Amino acid sequence: MADPVEQQIHRDPALFYWILLPITVVMILTGILRHYLSTLLQTTPKKQPLAKIREQRSLLRAQNLRGNHQQISKSSFERRKEVFIEGVKEGRFLADPENRGKPRANPMSDPAMMEGMMGMMKGNVAMMVPQSLIMGWINAFFSGYVIMKLPFPLTPQFKQMLQAGVGTRDLDVRWVSSLSWYFLTLFGLQPVYNFILGNNNAASMATQQMAQAQMGQNPMGGQEDPDKIFNAEIENLEVIDHRYILDGVEDRLLAKLGATL
Amino acid sequence: MSLALLEPPTNANPQTALTLSQKAPTFYKSQASWSLPYPLSLFVNNESQEKWQAYENIFLACLRTGDNQSAYLYLEELTDRFGKENERVTALRGLYAEATANTAKELEYVMKHYEEILVEAPSVFAIRKRRVALLRSLGRTAEAIGALTNLVDTSPTDAEAWSELADLYLSQGSYDQAIFSLEEVLLVMPNAWNIHAKLGEVIYLSANAKEAGPEQLKALSESMRRFCRSIELCDDYLRGYYGLQLTTSRLLGALQTTKKSQQVASDPVAGDLAPPSIDAVKKLNEVATAKLAEIVRKGTAGEKGWDGYSASELIAARELLDRGTQQIQR
Repeated sequence: MADPVEQQIHRDPALFYWILLPITVVMILTGILRHYLSTLLQTTPKKQPLAKIREQRSLLRAQNLRGNHQQISKSSFERRKEVFIEGVKEGRFLADPENRGKPRANPMSDPAMMEGMMGMMKGNVAMMVPQSLIMGWINAFFSGYVIMKLPFPLTPQFKQMLQAGVGTRDLDVRWVSSLSWYFLTLFGLQPVYNFILGNNNAASMATQQMAQAQMGQNPMGGQEDPDKIFNAEIENLEVIDHRYILDGVEDRLLAKLGATL
Repeated sequence: MSLALLEPPTNANPQTALTLSQKAPTFYKSQASWSLPYPLSLFVNNESQEKWQAYENIFLACLRTGDNQSAYLYLEELTDRFGKENERVTALRGLYAEATANTAKELEYVMKHYEEILVEAPSVFAIRKRRVALLRSLGRTAEAIGALTNLVDTSPTDAEAWSELADLYLSQGSYDQAIFSLEEVLLVMPNAWNIHAKLGEVIYLSANAKEAGPEQLKALSESMRRFCRSIELCDDYLRGYYGLQLTTSRLLGALQTTKKSQQVASDPVAGDLAPPSIDAVKKLNEVATAKLAEIVRKGTAGEKGWDGYSASELIAARELLDRGTQQIQR
């Protein structure tokens, strides 16, 4: 069977100089611009009051006690558990013991919460506005051009990805349209930014998306009542069946060393 | 960038700290950065976390070796970059002021400065820790303990603070409090073998303070088990084997003298463990002695892979071994 005839398209070399290069350069420049813009717009995270830190870390300590209780003897564990339960009942760990049991205020009225959301909005705007502008620009001036040929063959599934804006069914998948080149650079310039701006730059999409995913489960819903969380932790602690890691450690050690000696 | 630059030199031995601080001037020159005129400078970035980490470490090494001029140079760079308000920089500046203070009065002045900062921003933990360290070095141990208990009350997951507190309590001979603090460290970092061994040491000391009897036996076996756990986590830990050898020798004597009836049986309610069997203790003692001898032999010879032990610990281990053989000869 003869090899399929390779498609030949004669491209104007000007396509390279006036479309491929400009798109690439503009994409890199916007990335750098975005980096500096978001550095400018970034608000330094507000310092938490001491009582709040104490509340969070006390909870963390109880969780540590639950997770690593094997490390300490049963009497030490029971003693810590009792002190914790007593403290929670008295509300000793809470940031503001006066508001205990009252329903939480609407998070929208909380200025600290609003500030956090504003910061998020700013980041998103810095991200979205340039992207939509550039996409409009490319659509208006360069849509429908086939600007380059990839040096390797691909399966037809890539057709949608590589030939956006070109409605030709029989064109070989290796030809890339200008709009697709825009998308490729949008997602693929990460290493270039890393090279230019250092490792923790704000230009990359991926990190932005990650930051969004980490924003907590429900930024609008506010936090849960800390008193409830503490009480749930008490229940967790009370069901623990204590096991001491030093129980039988000498036999374990002898068995282990006996094998290697 | 070499690894030595990226590790804080506070735990390194004096030799490493000295070489690091001797490198300071050349490193400073090598970092002197070229930069382009304004609009072009936006396209280059010679910032990296490693650079500033190295700066801080060299700064600390210089302070340790008394090269205050180089230290000042690095401190200024750090201040220029991060500003005077930065928490870390304030702590480093405080450290510099402490190191260059000549008289007790100057130290008092530094202390006053710390307290001023803390009045304005009580959540700067770096400064709070500096204050505790300064109190301790001034010999005001009771105040240091007070400040530190206050700190761990607000931040009970701070392993560093807990272990410092344990050390302070130990220096005062309050074994129970020291044991409690070390247990807290273990709750945060369950696999820290050095803390397991340290806890074993403290329990051993507390056992020494007790009268011979079931209580002491209990403490000794607890201490031995801590050392066992430490070795289980880290195969070649010298302090672990040292402690194991020491406690097992003591236990052998104690187990033989204490009558069976006096030994506290395993009590499921209190959760205490039964004292170990004599056979197991004997075997552990043999194993520990053999391993300790191996470590001392290879460590002193500086064999490859065995050269990380500190000289003083090797000498102490050898002495312990010699003591053991003398007893047998007698």
